Amino acid sequence: MAIFEYDFMRRAFIVGILLAIIIPCIGIIVVLKRLSMIGDALSHTSLAGVAAGLIMGINPILGAIAACIAAALGIEAIRKRIPKYSEMSIAIIMSAGVGLAGVLSGFVKNAANFNSFLFGSIVAISDFEMILVACISCAVILAFILLYKELFYIALDERSARLAGIPVKTVNFIFTILTAVTVSVAARTVGALIISSLMVVPVACAMEFGKSYKQTVLYSICFAVFFTVVGLFLAYYARLKPGGTIVLIGVFCLVLILFAKKIMAKILLTMNKL
Amino acid sequence: MKKIASLLLSLMLVISLLGGCTPTPSTPSVNPSENSGITEKLSVYASFYPMYDFALKVGGDKIEIANMVPAGTEPHDWEPTASDITNLEKADVFIYNGADMEHWVDKVLESLQNKDLIAAEASQGLTLLEGHHDEEEDENAEEEEEHHDPHVWLSPIKAKREMENIKNAFIQADADNKDYYEANYEKYAAEFDKLDKEFKDTLSVLPNKDIIVAHQAFGYLCADYGLNQIPIEGLSPDSEPDPARMAEIIKFAKEHNVKIIFFEELVSPKVAETIANTIGAKTDMLNPIEGLSDEQLAAGDDYFSAMRQNLQSLKAALQ
Ligand SMILES: [Zn+2]
Repeated sequence: MAIFEYDFMRRAFIVGILLAIIIPCIGIIVVLKRLSMIGDALSHTSLAGVAAGLIMGINPILGAIAACIAAALGIEAIRKRIPKYSEMSIAIIMSAGVGLAGVLSGFVKNAANFNSFLFGSIVAISDFEMILVACISCAVILAFILLYKELFYIALDERSARLAGIPVKTVNFIFTILTAVTVSVAARTVGALIISSLMVVPVACAMEFGKSYKQTVLYSICFAVFFTVVGLFLAYYARLKPGGTIVLIGVFCLVLILFAKKIMAKILLTMNKL
Repeated sequence: MKKIASLLLSLMLVISLLGGCTPTPSTPSVNPSENSGITEKLSVYASFYPMYDFALKVGGDKIEIANMVPAGTEPHDWEPTASDITNLEKADVFIYNGADMEHWVDKVLESLQNKDLIAAEASQGLTLLEGHHDEEEDENAEEEEEHHDPHVWLSPIKAKREMENIKNAFIQADADNKDYYEANYEKYAAEFDKLDKEFKDTLSVLPNKDIIVAHQAFGYLCADYGLNQIPIEGLSPDSEPDPARMAEIIKFAKEHNVKIIFFEELVSPKVAETIANTIGAKTDMLNPIEGLSDEQLAAGDDYFSAMRQNLQSLKAALQ
């Protein structure tokens, strides 16, 4: 097929599918914890990290990772203070990240350098980025399998998880670090738009079907892979921007599912009445 | 305790990041109008770098000039802030390129109270190229909004005409120094002719004519010297390329044996690198001179040195 003739498209599929597997895994926990916007908040903060890295003369990707970890820990810390309004912690960190990125970018001398780290596209992925994404994917998948039950209990109800003897603090810490590293690297590689939407939209779709946690996880991965693959094909053959296409396909599917469910419910209701 | 510790840690990181950078010394001549009262120099604002450079060369020490777009910023999507507009209210001359480069100009000029301001469109009277891709006329519907190719300054001959328009605006604003402006213009007009000759002599003997560039900025340059540009992006650099376009360019590069893919300073080189890696080509910089970085300015670069660098890059690519 013509689409696989090109190295950059093969890379787009490999990296896209890897991210479509790991990001919904993180996403489901994030959604259950009511932190859906964390992807957005962290990717904004990672910009501040890139700028700081360039200013201080350290690798901007390391800067982005460090800033994301700090931000994710910050979100965790604030969330524990005000558990009832956990979304607020994200709003706080996000505004801090956006503000900091804005201020710091003014001090970056070499604009070209800054641009190349700000810009991520799924169709322009370097060797280094591909290896980095592969390593992170392995780490996330491994952690997710090993901590499968623990993560689920904590996401549902932290207090009873603690009572059941789960090391909540440690597991939360590991999860926070993994989230931060994944978002900082993935947002720089394929763009922040894809990351923040793959974290939530496939999970929302899967929740309409999944009857158990396990099912929901599997379905959301399937949805995410589906959106990414269809999005890349559509972008290539219909001459569209790949990032936006992937995101829009996801949202379109979600709307379709919700709509179909509503109609089904109505039909069932009228049938029951008859 | 651990929560507090982690919170403190993140705070400390934030503070250390902020502390790690000393503020840059304020850029010179940001507010030329303020001292115009004492020195009676013309207060001039230029919409972006080439306009600034041409105006500075003609105006010399008879003007106080500021470039509105900060160094290192891509000008296509730039828009003036409230303080830029306040500055224009106090200015004597405002130089802009026109030809659909500064989409904000008409609105801003309409809203200004400053009736004495001389707004000079540098591209006035030049024959402009139409703004669509040659090969894909109706496919990129969004780009149809820009009707002309604004990148006139990349042709030395057209750039000379732009400088002439700028000179005329200065004479209109400050007739007393007419001879000074004329003399400066004559001096640089000869420089433009010399540059044009260098381009002609160097490029006409080279066997290859196709250049792959980051965005469609080199239309006038190509028209002057018989080259053919294949732009990755349209007239204004976009955030994300479309993969079908990338595939076309790769195919073209393979067929025509293109050895160098050009990127530009103010746009991410990632797409150019991806294309170059796919076909085993190299990347090099071709500057559309839409803005110079602080480093380049500090090194004394200007329009002419940037164009000569471009000529060297073109020579290496087309051999
Ligand atoms: Zn341009």
